[in-house]
Amino acid sequence: MRDASRWLWRSSTGLALACLLVAPLRAQDSVVVIDPDAPLADSSALGGLPASVIEELLRTWNDSATTRLNGSVTLPAGSAMRGQVALYRGILRVAGSIDGPITVINGSLVLAPGARVTGPVLVIGGRLIRQEGSSLDGDERVYWDVAPVVRQRDGTMIVQETPNLETLGRAQASFGVGKIRTTIHASTGGTYDRVEGFPLELGPSFDWRASKRDRVELDLTGIVRTTSDRTGSHSDFGYRGRLEWRRAGEVTYGLGARAQGVVDVIPDQTLSRAESGWSSLLIQDDQYDYYYSELLGFYGFVIPARQFRVDLSWSRDQQSSALANNPWSLFVNDSRWRPNPLIDDGQYYLTAGAVTLDTRDNARQPATGWYAKAEVEYGTSENVAPLVLPGDVRNPIPTDGSYNYTTLALDARRYLRLSPEDRLSGRAYFAGWIGGDELPVQRRLSLGGPGVLPGDGFREVTCTPAGVLNNAQAGLCNRTMFFQVEFRHRLDLGWHTTISKVPDGTSGRVIGIQSADLVFLSDLGTAWLSGEGPNRVPNNRLPSLDLWQADIGVGVDFGFLGAYLAKSITDDGPLRFSLRLQRRF
Amino acid sequence: MRLPAPVLLLAALALVPAPPLLAQGAAGVTLGVRLVPDPSRKDGLLPEARVKGLLEDERWTSALLSGLPLRLHYRLELWRKRSSWFDAAVRAVEWDVVVRREPLLDQYAVTTVLLGRTRQQRYPGLDALGTALGVAYRIAVRATGKGEYYYVTTLSVSTLSDTDLDEMDRVMRGDTADPTDDGGNIGDAVSRSARRMLLRVAGLPIMRVEGKSEGFAVD
Repeated sequence: MRDASRWLWRSSTGLALACLLVAPLRAQDSVVVIDPDAPLADSSALGGLPASVIEELLRTWNDSATTRLNGSVTLPAGSAMRGQVALYRGILRVAGSIDGPITVINGSLVLAPGARVTGPVLVIGGRLIRQEGSSLDGDERVYWDVAPVVRQRDGTMIVQETPNLETLGRAQASFGVGKIRTTIHASTGGTYDRVEGFPLELGPSFDWRASKRDRVELDLTGIVRTTSDRTGSHSDFGYRGRLEWRRAGEVTYGLGARAQGVVDVIPDQTLSRAESGWSSLLIQDDQYDYYYSELLGFYGFVIPARQFRVDLSWSRDQQSSALANNPWSLFVNDSRWRPNPLIDDGQYYLTAGAVTLDTRDNARQPATGWYAKAEVEYGTSENVAPLVLPGDVRNPIPTDGSYNYTTLALDARRYLRLSPEDRLSGRAYFAGWIGGDELPVQRRLSLGGPGVLPGDGFREVTCTPAGVLNNAQAGLCNRTMFFQVEFRHRLDLGWHTTISKVPDGTSGRVIGIQSADLVFLSDLGTAWLSGEGPNRVPNNRLPSLDLWQADIGVGVDFGFLGAYLAKSITDDGPLRFSLRLQRRF
Repeated sequence: MRLPAPVLLLAALALVPAPPLLAQGAAGVTLGVRLVPDPSRKDGLLPEARVKGLLEDERWTSALLSGLPLRLHYRLELWRKRSSWFDAAVRAVEWDVVVRREPLLDQYAVTTVLLGRTRQQRYPGLDALGTALGVAYRIAVRATGKGEYYYVTTLSVSTLSDTDLDEMDRVMRGDTADPTDDGGNIGDAVSRSARRMLLRVAGLPIMRVEGKSEGFAVD
């Protein structure tokens, strides 16, 4: 597990958290001590000004005897004030005299020459500047931290609600009414594919923070498909809705319901959806297969530790075949899109569970840690309308209402840093049938292509019997297993230049790439039909070695773009080149 | 004749405006790691990491003033030297610092995140912010067994991009779902892709600096 130890912030003097808060970072010499083994501090004490200081400033400001000043104010020479003075958001310049305590909230205090102050001074969120010739007869306390307070219409001051870090930087319009935050989101669509083209999504989401621990989210999204269904049997509009309640704490858990009418993908190991979208848009090469899904379901999850998660779900899913359309492609439009395979239409009841362990240091570019996930799906259908597949691939499945199947997917990845420059990572994956009747087409599998075996062609292994036409290159296997290993060495390229906007060149914009990973890779995998019969592998066995595909390769990964050359070592295929927009795994 | 798909994809990508700007350690930004005495252990040493010159690099101040939050991701590692094999990583500690400007208040909010816990401070101007970001971090990660050791600290500075935000959301929620797996959510996939491309085309800066301490021996 990644360093799951507790942490504590302390001042350089080694005192406890409270000391740091009382003496916040004041100068370049300040030191923050991070002790990952220290006992867990009270999280309520982990932010901003000490609570006692905030209480003090609120008490002072809201005291009816206080003279309240707003914005910048100058007390000229020769003038005098008596009693408690507080200023909010501005600079208080004092050239005269004040006989009493001064509190400056989110502003600064300037004592000009000739200024005379008799009383304690408290400056929060600013500075105290004492010019020569001024006098201060009282304690002075200065905090650079801005006070999280806000002035109300009646003039009193209250603590401002802590900003929600989760909404930082989101490029969408949000506004809040009471405890409900509403966000209108419009995304430039779904991944580009040969069924619905470029879907556009628009809708509101509502986030209700019912309490410090409880949160309710409602997402409503409408989908407009830019490519119409050729058969006219499906609308150009889709939808997605989700209602979720979550309770955060040492153990976080939640429940939710969801409904959707979308074009869903047949789960298979290939490029990411985003990469497949670019490939479709640019070169008419769609890596996925699709079906229509009208789903209503419920789910729950438990997160007992930050790196560990358990998910359970149940849904009723009306699944139906989708035909490939002919959306526009940027560079290739003179050939046909790969047909989209038909599926076993029907209303399925799906019960699924997943367990995830994720100790990686970074999800996109991990260097250390584990990622492991196990998923089980149990599906039933009372009205499945099965396709007729060759007997070598699938025996007839029951249509008397008893149809059921169970699948399992196991994904284990390990990331190791061998040295500051060298990394080694490995992955083992299994997916497929483990029980019940034979799998529907939309749960069948294939192997080959830039996603897993870049030395092989796209879907090199589909389990299509000899002599059977499979124009769609549909995956017909019911099990797959593969292993991947990568060694990465960081290269310092130094391919960058600085465009300076100032004459001395001390500051400027840097363009280029300084480092990249040199990647050596190897993969070993296969997909097969398990069961009894010809060309099948018994359920309790793995395929013999001659049925496995293996490749080796080399590549350069710039972080945002990876280029790979790979060659199969089990076939006589050509050297294959592939580009990736993210890590292989 | 149809060209191989990868060739076409490469050509297409070449037409995309020059992507980004993965610059590192530029414009005088340095990350120093020095060894200081461990007050709780005789002859012990602790690493102290400090970044210098961050806000002297106008890319970051421009980003902040443009309303883009900055993310500083620190990672400190303790390594043990091994003469006959790769050096061994002993332990690592990571923490994040997110900086954003609140234009209405003309303040800078600095949120430090470590293992899902947050600490927020606010600063009234760039001077104060620069001082706060230049603070030294002394990390109580000690070398114990006999051997030769050294510390490596990396600092990745970026505008708070889509993936950073997703990751931070994930951390804050205690979520472990793999953000690189789209989980069948088409909108997420393309929205993420589009934002990522936008960030690249826009040329938003990314920087990574690394500091390494001197080696030291534990007897």
